[in-house]
Amino acid sequence: MGTTKKKIPPSRKNPERKLTRATMIDLYQARQYLGLDTLKETGLRMPVRVYFKDPAVAADTEGAGIDDEFTTPWEPGLGDGPTSARFAVIDYDATRNVLTPPAIWDARNNRYLAPDRKTVLDENTKELYQYHQLSVWAIVQNTLDFFESGAGLGRRISWAFEGNRLIIVPHAGYGENAYYDRGSKSLQLYWFESEKGTVYTCLSSDIVNHEFGHAVLDGLRPYYFESVGAQTAAFHEFMGDLTALLMAFRNNAFRRVVLKESNGALTNAQLLAGLAREFGEATANAPYLRTALNKHTMQDLAGNLEPHALSEVLTGAMFDILMGVFAKHQKNEVRRAKAGGSKKPSDIRALADTVPRMQMLAIQPLDLLPPCAVTFKDYALAVLRAEQVANPTDPSGYRQLMVDCFIKRGLLEEADRKPLMEPAPVFRRPALDVFHSVESIAASRGGAYRFLDDNRAKLFIPFSTDIDVPEIVRANKRTRDGLPLPQQTIVQYLWREELVLEGGRFGRFAGQRTTMLCGATMVLDQNGNLIHWVRKPGTASVGTSEAALAEQTEGMRRKKELLDTIAARVAAGMIGESIGSELGLLERATPPFTVEHVDGKLRFGLAPHFSLDDHDHNGTGDRQWQISF
Amino acid sequence: MADKLLIRLYDVGLGDSIYCRMPKAHKNGRDFHILIDCGTLSSTDYLAAAIDNLKTMLPEIDGKRHVDLLVVTHEHKDHMTGFGMDLWDDLSFGAIWMSAAMDLDHPEAKRAKKLHSFAANAMEQAVRLNLALSPPLMELAAALALNKTAMKTLRETLPQASKIKPVYVHAKSKKADLALPLKTDATVSVLGPEKDIDFYYLGKEGDPALRRLGFIDTGLPDPLTAVPQPDAVPMPANIDPADFRQLRSRMLSTALAFADLDGKVCNNTSVVLLIEWKGKRLLFVGDAEWDGAYKEGTKANCAWNVMWNLRKEKLKGPLAFYKIGHHGSVNATPWGMTAAASEGEPLAILDAILPVKSKAGAKATVSTRRGNYETIPRTDLLAEIGKRVSNTRNYANAFKKAGKKTSAVPKFSEFEKKSFSQPQPLRTDLERMLQESRGFVDVEIEA
Repeated sequence: MGTTKKKIPPSRKNPERKLTRATMIDLYQARQYLGLDTLKETGLRMPVRVYFKDPAVAADTEGAGIDDEFTTPWEPGLGDGPTSARFAVIDYDATRNVLTPPAIWDARNNRYLAPDRKTVLDENTKELYQYHQLSVWAIVQNTLDFFESGAGLGRRISWAFEGNRLIIVPHAGYGENAYYDRGSKSLQLYWFESEKGTVYTCLSSDIVNHEFGHAVLDGLRPYYFESVGAQTAAFHEFMGDLTALLMAFRNNAFRRVVLKESNGALTNAQLLAGLAREFGEATANAPYLRTALNKHTMQDLAGNLEPHALSEVLTGAMFDILMGVFAKHQKNEVRRAKAGGSKKPSDIRALADTVPRMQMLAIQPLDLLPPCAVTFKDYALAVLRAEQVANPTDPSGYRQLMVDCFIKRGLLEEADRKPLMEPAPVFRRPALDVFHSVESIAASRGGAYRFLDDNRAKLFIPFSTDIDVPEIVRANKRTRDGLPLPQQTIVQYLWREELVLEGGRFGRFAGQRTTMLCGATMVLDQNGNLIHWVRKPGTASVGTSEAALAEQTEGMRRKKELLDTIAARVAAGMIGESIGSELGLLERATPPFTVEHVDGKLRFGLAPHFSLDDHDHNGTGDRQWQISF
Repeated sequence: MADKLLIRLYDVGLGDSIYCRMPKAHKNGRDFHILIDCGTLSSTDYLAAAIDNLKTMLPEIDGKRHVDLLVVTHEHKDHMTGFGMDLWDDLSFGAIWMSAAMDLDHPEAKRAKKLHSFAANAMEQAVRLNLALSPPLMELAAALALNKTAMKTLRETLPQASKIKPVYVHAKSKKADLALPLKTDATVSVLGPEKDIDFYYLGKEGDPALRRLGFIDTGLPDPLTAVPQPDAVPMPANIDPADFRQLRSRMLSTALAFADLDGKVCNNTSVVLLIEWKGKRLLFVGDAEWDGAYKEGTKANCAWNVMWNLRKEKLKGPLAFYKIGHHGSVNATPWGMTAAASEGEPLAILDAILPVKSKAGAKATVSTRRGNYETIPRTDLLAEIGKRVSNTRNYANAFKKAGKKTSAVPKFSEFEKKSFSQPQPLRTDLERMLQESRGFVDVEIEA
């Protein structure tokens, strides 16, 4: 999507002239060639009034209230609900057994109305539940568009469940909670009472984006749910926080407020980094649930298996990078001014330049992640590799900055620095026995499988293993200037290795079988060059070469780590059956990790939902999953 | 033996019904007879058999079998179903004690009452609608669902027949209210619940996920709204009915959340009875629960933690007998279950009441049945208690000797195997298998 800098004259912001539906559809078909201002002017991006952050920030911080520049993508099939291609808002309140009538789509004027079919839903109607419905839909519709755009992943994203419409429940019922639940294809947002009145989690764009981040990541890497590993669970939390952080950043006026609040030093910018302020203030003594402005390192948290705590390290590292990028842009501003530019150095401009850079840097690498058992280091390496591909010469030293931040947080080790920073060719062909064209690999899961099977030895895939290719996608990512990056063909492949849980440390699971997920993600460019290849090996022999033996050794290490983690989770009482019923779920009795019996084997996984809160009971392994009767 | 104190734990399936005889402890020189609870979530046939046996143990006074003290620890069916049955005509009672939480007019339990009324009505509706609940939730619903007949028997029928008034007891009950015709070498005291039920067991915040208990005062919906009839549920137009049904089953249930909180409050307001007899200490805890730590007034505390922080002088000190709480549930006997629990209050409490070094002088027993709620009893907890008491059995050996198969033990490989060959306190379920329905487990305490 190209961007034009021209200002829209105020008179044209709300054009009286209406386009016909046929014209709208024509434009919609050509939307990838239209600039942002044109999209806004034509109504292909619809204005919707949402909170920058949430009502508490709106009340406390001047200028950080309702976002009057916010727009969200129009599409031809919009309907009441709102309902769109990828979302259906269902305003059912389970506490009160009430279905609130949906916001009504006014196809003639391309806007949503209250059920009276007259009242336009905007900041003057924020008490109406239909306004809430519209607001939450507009937020996720816009965030999904961001993820799918060229600045993001450059491709359509699927959900992790059967189906393509994520159900959004804006007033799900009473509770200090909000969660994404794959099992019901839904994102559920609850309300609760505080001293200041009812808190609607659906009005907090941070909460909505955080939970939606889980849904997006679950769609991208569905096997991350099947995990007991601390970093994989924490990565889900990180993804939620990152999504919220980046989406808040996209707003021009909000960035101005943040800079004003922090006097230009982003290290003070709690407003931005503190997620879900209203929720946090109403629910805990700490002003923010989690904050990106922390100093935690992996070394501090060694042995900590609590996902929320661990996720702060990675969120903190990415915020460090953000501050570093901002500092570079600030210097550029000064340099430009000194060199006789016509403009004064501007923090606002520096931050505005930082944001798209940061979005690309953090989101595009998601396609380079392994299909299972992700670690923070996998993400750090993916970020560095994506940067190298997009910016091979790196005149401003971004990779140096990132490596420094990752090492400081303990996500990479000092020993990693040299190989990462050594000059090397950006693109190499993978070593293969049998050549397949990218076209044939990308054509189908079958095509990708034949490519992998023909090259088992070189790809360290054990001979006896029957591998699955759950997804193959092509992506057209772009640089921040809107220029195309090499087209990516992303192949994920997986297999399972059976493990026996031997010994008393597995408690009631002793003697039973489970599986370890193994596999890899390979990303090729359109010429068959290797963009990235990240592997999660198993323990089976894959040859006798030094590299093959190292692969097997890594598999052994993974197996030991997995068994140790399961044992630790068992000891902490964190694994239990998920407790569901026709009457609904009982959050307190839902353990953080679940176990299912699939084909006679145990399958451990993240609990079906993630709560935004991190009350101390989550990590203590107290006996809280027990129901009292 | 007539001069030993007897504790008879009836095998009532999943429930409690406990008889205690203190030899010659009555003021007039006869034995003193106590019945603690009479309930089950299993077949009520168990209770009929238990009361039949109980009658053979009781003295006949004025043409009726006489219980000197009846204690009903808390208002859950597994502790009181029996009182809804036709079992009591030929029994009389010297005193009836119930938890202060069961007093409809207790001033410091206003919120707890509201909560309980909502929860009981909602769960009754869930049971009536025969909703598909997971096994643990079924137990919750069954235990909570209203039991008006039983409560009427306890509040009115039995006291009137015996010409007494029921006493709703708490740790600050007046001496006169708790006066019993006992000799000086025997006392019965109440360690819980505390009088201010709302403050200690609900706290300001209740359960973290239900923070702001103001909702109990003003926001709670009608129980029939919280558990709606299927045909009273509105149907959205923009999704498939099957998807909507699935969605509803995976939304947080207010009814369940508050029922769960009420279940917890109810357990934690169990009457905790300390019997001291000839220098021996016996503790009956109902279903009192524990958690990591006590916080005054801000959270829904658990009974063990409250007792430890408010009544430590009475609670601490080695026991001669411990009635293992809540059918051997993991959350009813404080122990070093996790690293955190080992470092904090939970293990300290266990070490104070059942120190390993006093093992020879300590006994314990538990009413168990692994049924719908399959993680109860928790066998590694029982094995841990087995290290601290003397009346244990190695059930692996006992089964072998008796020629019994472990396959008859429910969920053996999943929940029993690991601790089966470790000494455990006597359990009603396994004892029944070994002894061919004697119907109870006896523990004797010597003076």
